Amino acid sequence: MLCDKCKKNEAKIYYTEIINGEKTEQHLCEECAAEYTSFPMGTAFMDQEITLGSLLSTILGNYYNNNPHGAEPAEKEISCNGCGMTYSEFLRDGRFGCAKCYDSFRKILEKSIKNIQGSDTHTGKKPKGFESKTQKLVKELSELDKLSLRLQDAIEKEEFEEAAKLRDKIRELKKEEINNA
Amino acid sequence: MLKWYKDAGQNNDVVISSRVRLARNLKNYPFSVKLTEKQAAELVEKVKAATEVIENQATMKFYGCSADVLGDTEKAAMVERHIISPLLVAKEQSTGLILSEDESISIMINEEDHLRIQSITGGMNIGKAFHEANKIDDITGEIFDYAFHEKYGYLTSCPTNVGTGLRASYMVFLPALTIAGKIIKLAEELGQYGIALRGTYGEASKSVGSLFQISNQKTLGSTEKEIMEALDRIVEQVMKQERRQREYILTNNYDEFEDKVHRSYGVLKYAKQISSGDAMTLLAQLKLGMDMNLIHLGDSYNIHELMMEIQPGNLQCQLDKNVGSMQRDKFRADYIRKKLPEHV
Ligand SMILES: [Zn+2]
Ligand SMILES: [Zn+2]
Repeated sequence: MLCDKCKKNEAKIYYTEIINGEKTEQHLCEECAAEYTSFPMGTAFMDQEITLGSLLSTILGNYYNNNPHGAEPAEKEISCNGCGMTYSEFLRDGRFGCAKCYDSFRKILEKSIKNIQGSDTHTGKKPKGFESKTQKLVKELSELDKLSLRLQDAIEKEEFEEAAKLRDKIRELKKEEINNA
Repeated sequence: MLKWYKDAGQNNDVVISSRVRLARNLKNYPFSVKLTEKQAAELVEKVKAATEVIENQATMKFYGCSADVLGDTEKAAMVERHIISPLLVAKEQSTGLILSEDESISIMINEEDHLRIQSITGGMNIGKAFHEANKIDDITGEIFDYAFHEKYGYLTSCPTNVGTGLRASYMVFLPALTIAGKIIKLAEELGQYGIALRGTYGEASKSVGSLFQISNQKTLGSTEKEIMEALDRIVEQVMKQERRQREYILTNNYDEFEDKVHRSYGVLKYAKQISSGDAMTLLAQLKLGMDMNLIHLGDSYNIHELMMEIQPGNLQCQLDKNVGSMQRDKFRADYIRKKLPEHV
């Protein structure tokens, strides 16, 4: 399989991103993967299929700043994909047009909201039974995916003993899957 | 059933009432500015239809209606009693109201946000006001799908309300600080703590009857409890300052002030016509005199109630007909004379 990004090299890394609760899968070559993530390449784990999941916010930032597929032309005004409100329309009366506006204008407004509010993250009440998109997604992940995520986390925190244990578990699980198949 | 303002509550020499407002929006409708009239009408119907469920679950009597069934005078009176906002009245789109029998809880439908849940209680008790509003929010939150964002919390039309959607405010009576000319400086000080001070009736800077609103400005980043605790700390300070200033007046200008209070009472008791502005100023003097034990009108006489009742809209409602301001001023004088107890 060829790399999804450069379409030239052989894809060696199976890569899962969770951005804004949306799960995307990519198959990347080592070169592109290194560029794309902060995941340490060339380690002992290179021969493994790794599922990544915890680098969301940094990736999000990089992704927008440096869109590899050529971002929208700068002169085109951002507008909300929910209600069609343009940014200048918002600036005019300071009222959003719909719930999606918050994400549509998020990049431009993040700083302003922080300036107005002194913070940018809600810590108060949540609707009963509210599950974050990430929570939901994690719930739906397979046991194998979950273990891989934990492994990734352990490596990042340099908890190598824990990582080794997780790796063993992953191997066992995979063996079982093959046997069951 | 007794209206909420009949119960004067704690610290009522300074804090008249405590009010909480929660801003909520439904996920499946655009916000107010992008809402079509058809959607607005649908939204009002949908929320109104929830009145019965709210009533059953809150075990309290509620009344739900479209705002267009309310008469202009009735609306003006409700604005004066802080049940609805001037914005709700001014809106051309369909709007609605769900109101509890004692008027302590109201839900404005399609104001700036789809739902504005509000709860008021007498005196200093923001915790109780929040508890009541929160209870209603739990109920409506089960019925409707709210616009809620992982990071930003409850999404609101205006980013200044996002997060908790909570505006907690106290109505305070600050006559001594007003006389001392300390209000503007106080407002500046509170501003530094993210707390706003505004006039209750009339404009922001010049308040009628020395009544002010003290409320949180920030809604995102702190929990509801933290917001209210911070507000309470500030209001306790303001209360201390106001009481100290009252002591100062008593110590330094006792005779003058006693005379003023009794003159105010005299005018209120014997005037044949009186404007709402004049009446408010005199009632404020009288309330201060009562709080400072300079005049006695019976233990539990609640001046604030009278202050609300003599506002133009409320008076009009009592009259049950539309009259000119001259006639209204006569009626107001009559009304006050009848309502004001003899002093003992
Ligand atoms: Zn590549
Ligand atoms: Zn929008």
